[in-house]
Amino acid sequence: MTTEKKALIKVDGLYKYFGSNRVLKGISTEIDAGEVVVVIGPSGSGKSTFLRCLNLLEEPTYGEVWLENKLVTPVDPYLHPDVIELSKTYQSLFASEKAKSNGRTDEEIKAGLIAKIKAEDLLNEKHEGRAYKSLMKKIYSENYINVNLARQKIGMVFQQFNLFANLSIIDNITLAPMKLLKLRRSEAEQRAKTLLERIGLADKAQAYPSQLSGGQKQRIAIVRALAMNPDVMLFDEPTSALDPEMVGEVLEVMKELAKEGMTMVVVTHEMGFAREVGTRVVFIDEGVIQEENTPVEFFSNPESPRLRDFLSKVL
Amino acid sequence: MKDWFADISAQFKLNFIDGNRWQWLVEGFRTTLIIAFFATILGILIGVLIATIRSTYDKTGESLKKRGGIGVKIFGIADRICKLYLTVIRGTPMVVQLLIMYFIIFKSSTRGTLVAIISFGINSGAYVAEIFRGGIMSVDNGQFEAGRSLGFNYIQTMIYIVIPQMFKIVLPTLCNEFIVLLKETSVAGYVGIRDLTKAGDLIRGRTFSAFMPLIAVALIYLVVVIILTKLVGILERRLRRSDH
Ligand SMILES: Nc1ncnc2c1ncn2[C@@H]1O[C@H](COP(=O)(O)OP(=O)(O)O)[C@@H](O)[C@H]1O
Ligand SMILES: [Mg+2]
Repeated sequence: MTTEKKALIKVDGLYKYFGSNRVLKGISTEIDAGEVVVVIGPSGSGKSTFLRCLNLLEEPTYGEVWLENKLVTPVDPYLHPDVIELSKTYQSLFASEKAKSNGRTDEEIKAGLIAKIKAEDLLNEKHEGRAYKSLMKKIYSENYINVNLARQKIGMVFQQFNLFANLSIIDNITLAPMKLLKLRRSEAEQRAKTLLERIGLADKAQAYPSQLSGGQKQRIAIVRALAMNPDVMLFDEPTSALDPEMVGEVLEVMKELAKEGMTMVVVTHEMGFAREVGTRVVFIDEGVIQEENTPVEFFSNPESPRLRDFLSKVL
Repeated sequence: MKDWFADISAQFKLNFIDGNRWQWLVEGFRTTLIIAFFATILGILIGVLIATIRSTYDKTGESLKKRGGIGVKIFGIADRICKLYLTVIRGTPMVVQLLIMYFIIFKSSTRGTLVAIISFGINSGAYVAEIFRGGIMSVDNGQFEAGRSLGFNYIQTMIYIVIPQMFKIVLPTLCNEFIVLLKETSVAGYVGIRDLTKAGDLIRGRTFSAFMPLIAVALIYLVVVIILTKLVGILERRLRRSDH
């Protein structure tokens, strides 16, 4: 199961249901190293959920997420025809279909059945038999990456900053590098100080989160994630909780990051940022990607009526 | 008036001075403090453990159940044991638990104070567990998610981020638990432990006068509780003022 693709993140057939609320309904996309993907869409359309599925803060209902060709989620049997074929469900359906084949070839029956099983969600983990289970296990064990390890490579910045309230700024930044990357305190603090200087907050090292402004908190939150040397950074509306006069300073840090070649996925309502910094803009609505394009094309030639409608409201 | 005063001082001498009986009270008070203090510590240990198991199960049970495996089963069993413990401890009187501990479970033990510490500690643990669980739930979930998003596993996130914040929230309540225990241990006399209450009662039995020793015992509890409550109040205000 080696994918030749060099995508940094690959999302395949992602569905997420909260009970009967079907939030994501089949999202597939690839994000390459160096891309700055800006995700926009109406509120409640599933942008945060999409982002949180990438690092498994939400567990997808169906679908797979791959990071650097390693599987982050569990195996989704519906994405593997060879797995479906081994299932008891498939085999019993196949037998009965073949009995009344009406001249269809085995291949035709198979294609029809796999489509039907996918569409109607007919598999039941518990009753699909040994062969099915062992192939599932094989695919998983050959490809998976431990979720905590994956998260070390995926930095995340939240709308509400979420700095650790019990720790000073310097400890906020050094905690994960020390405990997870096993850096010595002196190394971790050196790294933290360099990062703090870059955002002009070196003098706040000993302060506590509650003593900082929103803009300062968010810049620290970005730096805290960067201290882990992640391969990709996720931003979930990083400026939405800020007073207007502080939005600029946070966007500035993000722009610099993009300029340095960081791979970024940014959910935001800042269309200026999308235009200026994005390499691709993705429009999510009704739980699917309605449209995606380069910023220039995206904003000058929106194709779907939904997107045109959305843009007319926000621009 | 004079007679009354003479009577009082005679009573005082009889109950506290003669035979150095005041020392019984001092000794008893010491025992009460020891039992309450160590039982609180034990209660906190049990409480943290149970609260962690229960809120882990609450938080991750759903996704764990979907994956199946031995870990889920162990957690499920641990969760059920915790619930059973909480039900039994909170559903039976403290005195009965103490009697069972002393006369059945540790019946060959001669170390009454230790048995009392264990007994009150196990009892207190059930209440402290719920205090902690409430504390854990009142820590903003964003703190937890930020920890996980950096790559910390569940336990690390709890230890480095959530539990320190939870302790700050519940510290005043924990101190109150100590105050409650201080009073509750007064039933230790049931199993022959000479705590403060029992000391007063022993003096009463010896001097055949109830008023002085029992009022003295009550006053000691009262003064200590008032002082501790004041201190908790100060602590509470301090914690509220410092945001970190
Ligand atoms: N943890 C959750 N439990 C239940 N429903 C949720 C949860 N998180 C999000 N939702 C629902 O999913 C939908 C999409 O939410 P979200 O992804 O936050 O949208 P957006 O970020 O685009 O505004 C909303 O209807 C929301 O109520
Ligand atoms: Mg959102």
